[in-house]
Amino acid sequence: MFTNLYAATWGEVGKAKEKGFFDFDLFSWMAWTWQTAAFFIFIALCITVMFIWEKKVPGGSPRKGILGLDTTRGDRLFVSLLGSAFIHLFWLALVGSVLWVATIICLGYAIIVFRYV
Amino acid sequence: MNKTLNQKAWLFVIPVFVLVAFNAAIPLMTVVNYSFQETFGSNVFAWEGTRWFKEILHSERFHASLGRQVIFTFIILLIQLPLGIGIALTMPKKGWGVPVCLILMSMPLLIPWNVVGAMWNIFALPEIGFLGNSLNSLGFDYNFTQQSGDAWFTTILMDVWHWTSLVVLLSYAGLNSIQPAYYQAAEIDGASRWDIFRYIELPKMKKVLTLAILLRFMDSFMIYTEPFVLTGGGPGNATNFLSLDLVKMALGQFDLGPAAAMSLIYFLIVLLICWIFYTIMMKDEGRS
Repeated sequence: MFTNLYAATWGEVGKAKEKGFFDFDLFSWMAWTWQTAAFFIFIALCITVMFIWEKKVPGGSPRKGILGLDTTRGDRLFVSLLGSAFIHLFWLALVGSVLWVATIICLGYAIIVFRYV
Repeated sequence: MNKTLNQKAWLFVIPVFVLVAFNAAIPLMTVVNYSFQETFGSNVFAWEGTRWFKEILHSERFHASLGRQVIFTFIILLIQLPLGIGIALTMPKKGWGVPVCLILMSMPLLIPWNVVGAMWNIFALPEIGFLGNSLNSLGFDYNFTQQSGDAWFTTILMDVWHWTSLVVLLSYAGLNSIQPAYYQAAEIDGASRWDIFRYIELPKMKKVLTLAILLRFMDSFMIYTEPFVLTGGGPGNATNFLSLDLVKMALGQFDLGPAAAMSLIYFLIVLLICWIFYTIMMKDEGRS
């Protein structure tokens, strides 16, 4: 059922594929892989967590952070995600391999953003 | 205090969610999926990891088109903002001149982008176009289809013609919202014309000008149709801006993977700059 979520390999190029559960034409053009699906599930989880957090502590805990900006929780999440994207890009451009190190840096960065910005 | 909780309003938001899903979320997800894979069509994909991102980040071609794009946007803002404010300051405040000026100003904004490109293409043709022929008759060696400097000149002139009006209309609206009392106070204080502009008009126009900068930045940073019709990115690659290059890569070469990676990087740059502008605008909002 989930075989189609995995990307094809070079050996499969040009060969006819067996039709799986996700292989209807409305969907297959989106070319899902488990890695990208995991990324979007992570984003969806972030938003869900923010939603629950807002229910528990309403108001978004606004404050003036170290950058002198008025930020709420949502702003901090956005800054964390956008910054993480750029950290990954810079890592790819300057280092190129062991991308998970960049992910760890991003985690630290996100914690700093949520704590101080 | 018994407030009844009514969540019916959420039902009315559903159409927007569906619309955004179809015109933004699903295409964006697809682009993310494509950016990590290689395809030759017919829905067969092979995982490539971060290869395309690395290639794009190190590609001379991407650096060149990004550089061209930044320079173009910078020149556009540098010309259109002062020019727009200047025109708005000289426009009449009352009388029959107001509607005439407003209509004249909004004319270029109403013309479809590809028509603007086609118009300027014919207008600037060195042999038969009015602009091209006039410049050549005056002794300039002008040919926008062969000389990159001329192509840039024509593209910038076209964009200035098309979009300065937007800055004019925004600034004019900003100027008109200033209360006469400010001008009267300035007159009593014996302020010069420059002082009035510097200390009354400019601060009062700050909000609309931030909006104008944001709109002009976005539009010129994502410009596609006009240079596509006018120069097609040429001569050579001289006016090959980011979105032109992106479309060439995606549809011309059918390199969907690299093109997807490039469009994500492009998207992130636009998102970052938008966020910076948004933050600047909201910062002032909080203070006042």
